[in-house]
This record gives sequence, C-alpha cells and structure tokens, in this order.
Amino acid sequence: MRHIISILLQNEAGALGRVAALFSTRGYNIESLNVAATEDSEISRLTLVTKGSDGVIHQISQQLLKLVDVVKIADMTLDDHIEAELLLIKVVVPTNAECNLPELIESAGARVLDDSPETFTLELTASSQELDDFIIAVSDCSEVLSVVRSGAMAIARGHNVLGAGF
Amino acid sequence: MTGAEMIVQILADQGVSVIFGYSGGAILPTYDAVFRYNAENTGTDGDEPMPLIVPANEQGAGFMAAGYARASGDVGVVMVTSGPGATNTVTPVRDCMADSTPIIVICGQVPTAAIGTDAFQEAPVNSCLGPVAKHTFLVTDPEKLESTVRTAFEIARTGRPGPVVIDLPKDVQNWTGTFTGKGLLPVPGYRKRLHAARENHLDDRKCASFFGMLEASSRPLIYAGGGVINGNATEELRQLADHFGIPVTTTLMGIGAVDTTLPLSLHMLGMHGLASANYAVEDCDFLIAVGARFDDRVAGVPEKFAPNARHIAQFDIDPSEIGKVKSVDWSHVGVLKVDLQAIYEYGLRHRVSPSYSDWHDEIRELKKKYALNYDRESELIQPYAVIEAINSITGGDAIISTGVGQHQMWAAQYFDYKHARLWLTSGSMGTMGFGLPAAIGAQFAARDHLVIDVDGDASIRMNLGELETATTYGLPVKVLVLNNYGDGMVRQWQKLFYEGRMAASDKSLRSKDFVKTAEADGFQYAVRLDDRKQLDRTVREWLAFTGPAFLEVVIDPDAGVYPMVGPGLSYDQMITGDHIPSRIKTTEEEIDGSSMF
Repeated sequence: MRHIISILLQNEAGALGRVAALFSTRGYNIESLNVAATEDSEISRLTLVTKGSDGVIHQISQQLLKLVDVVKIADMTLDDHIEAELLLIKVVVPTNAECNLPELIESAGARVLDDSPETFTLELTASSQELDDFIIAVSDCSEVLSVVRSGAMAIARGHNVLGAGF
Repeated sequence: MTGAEMIVQILADQGVSVIFGYSGGAILPTYDAVFRYNAENTGTDGDEPMPLIVPANEQGAGFMAAGYARASGDVGVVMVTSGPGATNTVTPVRDCMADSTPIIVICGQVPTAAIGTDAFQEAPVNSCLGPVAKHTFLVTDPEKLESTVRTAFEIARTGRPGPVVIDLPKDVQNWTGTFTGKGLLPVPGYRKRLHAARENHLDDRKCASFFGMLEASSRPLIYAGGGVINGNATEELRQLADHFGIPVTTTLMGIGAVDTTLPLSLHMLGMHGLASANYAVEDCDFLIAVGARFDDRVAGVPEKFAPNARHIAQFDIDPSEIGKVKSVDWSHVGVLKVDLQAIYEYGLRHRVSPSYSDWHDEIRELKKKYALNYDRESELIQPYAVIEAINSITGGDAIISTGVGQHQMWAAQYFDYKHARLWLTSGSMGTMGFGLPAAIGAQFAARDHLVIDVDGDASIRMNLGELETATTYGLPVKVLVLNNYGDGMVRQWQKLFYEGRMAASDKSLRSKDFVKTAEADGFQYAVRLDDRKQLDRTVREWLAFTGPAFLEVVIDPDAGVYPMVGPGLSYDQMITGDHIPSRIKTTEEEIDGSSMF
C-alpha cells in the first residue's frame, strides 16, 4: 500500500543523506521525496512516499526513528489528511484539431505559466493521482516535452499538526 | 584554548584513558594537544594519562577501540587523520554498529574552506561513514565543538550503543575560543526516544501476563543475546534464571551472559550452536528472548525457529527489533537491567515458584547425550583439543578474542566463559582480522587480565601488522594461530555445497612462516607446534610466558565445525558430524546451500 510519511529532521550536515541512505541500505523503495524548511529554521520537513506491507512500513518507521537527527515522524496516510503535489509541464502547442488543450487546462484547474509560439508551460497543484491523470490526458492530446513534479506533500486536516515541540 | 585542546580536555573529562590512532596532516593539531596534555600530566610513576597507541593501520586502531570497549564497557576512542585515515575505519565502524559497540572516531578533515575541492587527503566522511555509524558529526561551527564532542559520547553510550564519528576540519582544531566545560547539542528527537525507553517501566499487568505464560509453560527457555552484555544486565539475567529455574541459551554475542559451566546453561545456539542448545530450542514451549534479535545465524528459517513454543516474549532496548524477524506474543522495550530486575521482583512478590524438574532432567540429558565431541584418537592435532588444553588452564576466566571462521566457532564452543565481557568476537559483520587488534585493545582495558587472541592463519593475516603493536607496547597478549593452511570455513562450505571445488581458499602453497614473522616483530616467545604429544606442555609454557607470546599450532586441515545447521534449514535438520549423535539423520546431499549465505 502507498504511504505518505512526514519526517521532521534537524538541519544538520548529512541529515538528508542519512534518510536517503537508510532507504537504499535497507532496500526500501522511495517513490518521491520532498524536503524544505518549516516554520522553525532548525527543522526541515521531509515528505516521503513509499510502498510496502504494514510490516515493511512499520520497520521503515522504526528505522527512521533510530536516526539521531529525526525529531518526529508520522504516517500521514493513517489519519485524515490533505495531499498535494505541484506539477510543471511543458507541452508542444497542439496541431491536432481534435485536441482542445485550453479546455483540458481549465477542467483540471491548471494554469498557463508561459506560452511561446511552439510550447505551453503549465502548472497544476493536485493529488499525485490527479497529476498522473492530467499528464496522460495532455500526452494523448499533444507531445509532452518535460515533466517536473515536486513529489507529494501532506498536511493533517483540522487542528492537528506534526510539531517539533515537546 | 584551541579547539584541539578543548577536545583533549573533554576526552579527559569523559574518563578516556587511552587513544588508539594514527596521525597525519589534518589531525596534527589534536595529536599535538594530546602530546602536551600527557607531558603536563604524567604521573609520578611515569605513566601518561592518555597514551596514544599507534597501530599499523587505522583499521587496527578501530578494532583496538572495539576490543577496549567490549572488554571494559566504556567508550573506545579512535583518532585518525582525514582521507585514508578516515576511510580505513569504515570496517571497524560498521563492525561496531552491527555488534552495538560504543566507540568514538575523531577524524581530521581538510580545512572548512577546502571541503569539496578534492583537496589532498580529502574523503567524504559523512557519506562514507554516515550509513554505517550510529551517528556522524561534521563540525563546521567551532562554537559547537565542545557540545558536539560531549554529545558524541552521550550518543555512543546510550540506548543501543554504537559508533559515533566526529569529522573535524583542521581550522576548527586550530581555532581559539573560550572553554566552558559544559553544554550538549540539542538532539531532541533522540533524547525524547531515549527517555521514553528509560521510563517505559514494566507495570504489574504486563508482569502478570509474562508470569501467566511462564506458569502455563513446562519447558521455558531464555534466549539471551548481546544486549544483555551491552546493557550490563548479566547479574539481573542470572538472578531471574536461577530463581525461577529457567535454562538459558545464548547467542554468539551473548556468550558470558550466564556462566557456561552451570547445569542449566546450554551455551550457544544457532548455526554452529551446541546440539543440546538447539534441541532445547526445538523442545521449548515458552521462549524468552532477551537482547537478542533472531538473526539469520540463529533463526535461519524464522517460521521454523522454536516451532513448539506456544508463546514468545521479547525484551529489547531497540523498538525496531521487536517482531522484526519473528512475531512475538509479548514484548517490552526498555532498559534490560531495570526490566529483568522488575520481572524478578514481581515474581518474588507474588511467590511464583514453578517447578520445571522434568525439563531440567531433559536438559541434563540433552547436554550429556549431545555433548561436543571430536576424533580424540587422531594423529593430527585437533583444534578442539588445543582449546580444551588452554581451557583447562584458564578455567573460563580468560579474555578470548577471535578472528572469523572455524577457529572462531571452536573458540565459542569449547571454551568456558564464566563472566560477561570475556568473549570478544565480530559477530554480525564477521570481520576477519578482528582478533589481534581487539586483544590489544582489551589488554589496555584489563591490564592484568590474561588476554588470548585465538586466530586462524587466514584471519590473522588481515591485520598481521598489529603483531608489532603488541610488542611495541609490551602487552602480554597471547596469540594463538590455528593453522589449517587456508580459509577453513570457506572450505567447509565448498565441501558441503560446491562439490569440493576449493576456489581460492587453499593456502598450503604459500610461503608464510608465522614464527619468523612473530620473531621479526619482536616476540620473544614464538613457537610452532605440530606434535600432538607436546600439546599440553607447549600450551602451558606459552601461557606462562611473561610478555607477548605467539603460538602457531598446525591442525588437522579437515577438521570441521559441528554441529551445523545449514543455511536456510531448521534446527531439526542439523548436521552433527561423525562424533556427536543426532536425533534425526540428514544427509549432506539434501542440502543445496549454494544460493544461501
């Protein structure tokens, strides 16, 4: 099953490398990894998407908690959460008359960030599944030149937060 | 005070009494500070407070620190230079991680401004050592130097112990600042989890459910691992086992957790465990794992391990070990020393007094019937006989270190071990070359104790340069090489699983003269034994020698390690060889271990 794991990590030399190395040395798979600063400049938040049985996910969590720099972790998929991912995509201006790219863009809620005589550069923020669907729809319609994705991010619904405070 | 001086002061504050290491450009300032500290603080007896012990290779320094840490229970300290100095410690650091041994590696690094420029003797220490250490620090802000070094000791020795690396750029060592003598880095996640484990006391409900399983069982068995040794919980384990009459088997790493000579001590289980111990695991109906992790050399087939156990309980300090390999009915994450005492006291308070006399009879019978044995009539010297001859003198009280392979298993099986921290071996990593430097380190931890390196001709070659280290520092270590002219354990597997094709495992045509080697490195006693009639006399003479002593014994090259549970097989398929009886006859042809490891 797909899990989104959020990790609060101390901003120390090599900290991100240790998380990545843990996955490779123990043979766990990373589908996507996103990392950036939080409201606390000493702490980064990693959002990691992985797949595995409950046992594997449990081991991943336990092994992550052995890393000294890891402050806290949460398996976001276990609770009510909001998932979002950013997609930047560059497509060739369609020559196919049957393709209505503006309608695709509008129905998906995407934005045109840049257009040139030959290409459109689009942005869409949605769940990873919705991005997958949008990429397929666009590539059915025109040639996709480049796909850039942030990897999924997640935040809890309601008042819950994954805080570094104790 | 310079950064280098601060480091030395913190080492002194942490109680460090010896440093193992090799100097070089990027660590020179700290070596100089150690030199000055020793010069200023030399005792009236002429002893330096923090001698620098110089190995032949930094790997040797790492294993010396590991031997020191294992024998003493204190943190071993390694100090090396950047680049090759640091990368030569990768193997001992991984070894210490795998066997939960606390060491600190302080390695010089090129100056901060030169990091990442492919400078002379630069290596990416975080990237090389990060994945194999418990933690690594790169000190770029000299203001954090003090707190970093102190925190490194805290991390190395707390929780599940392990190696911590401090990567120290040269400019940080040369920096001058004010020494405060206090302060730690904030490692909030680590400390919170440590606190949680320490405060996770066993409550009455949990104790009651444990004793419910114990009282319902008629054949309980404690399976004790290295965690008991590392957690200094030997006394508490012995008390619990004694009081309730629970027999104990230990892993390779757990040897010494109980006195192996006692009637209810089954000694080692596993791939090369004693047949009696493995059969007891087969027969037990309640298995109590204490600081043991069901690794593949113990539970090769987890679902067939302890197949008759109706319940399994597991105590550990590391939550990731609970149920990692085999699911358990009852588990507790906490400090073994505290938890084993709590369980004992609960049982005492509630007057739990189960009777396992039938089981004890069965254990006695297993130990008698399936005792270790070998060809006692052979004209060739049997390695087991060599160990028995030494053991008859040392009586279970010597510190034994080993390399890796057959000799390691023979030393585990045939020596008695009355106490913890007498048995130093590379268990998880299986690093050949561990024995000699570990013995040297252990001798520094226990200056007056008899320390014996039981080594193989192949293993000792790996760190042979350290023979000279033993004589340089006048250490009275006793070095034994059981010479079977090759990689005996590899040959044993080649015989069993590769139709006897001895790929690269034979050394009979090599020209090494071990006695000359030892003599060249300053051993005043260096003897080669190939006459079995001289065995007892030679062993006595070797052990009685004052100072470093080297003994090579030419052994039967076909001597094997039995019993053996083949890789991927269960205990009921154990091969016991020609001299130990077996419950079930399994022919060696049935095993295809070629894909196993």
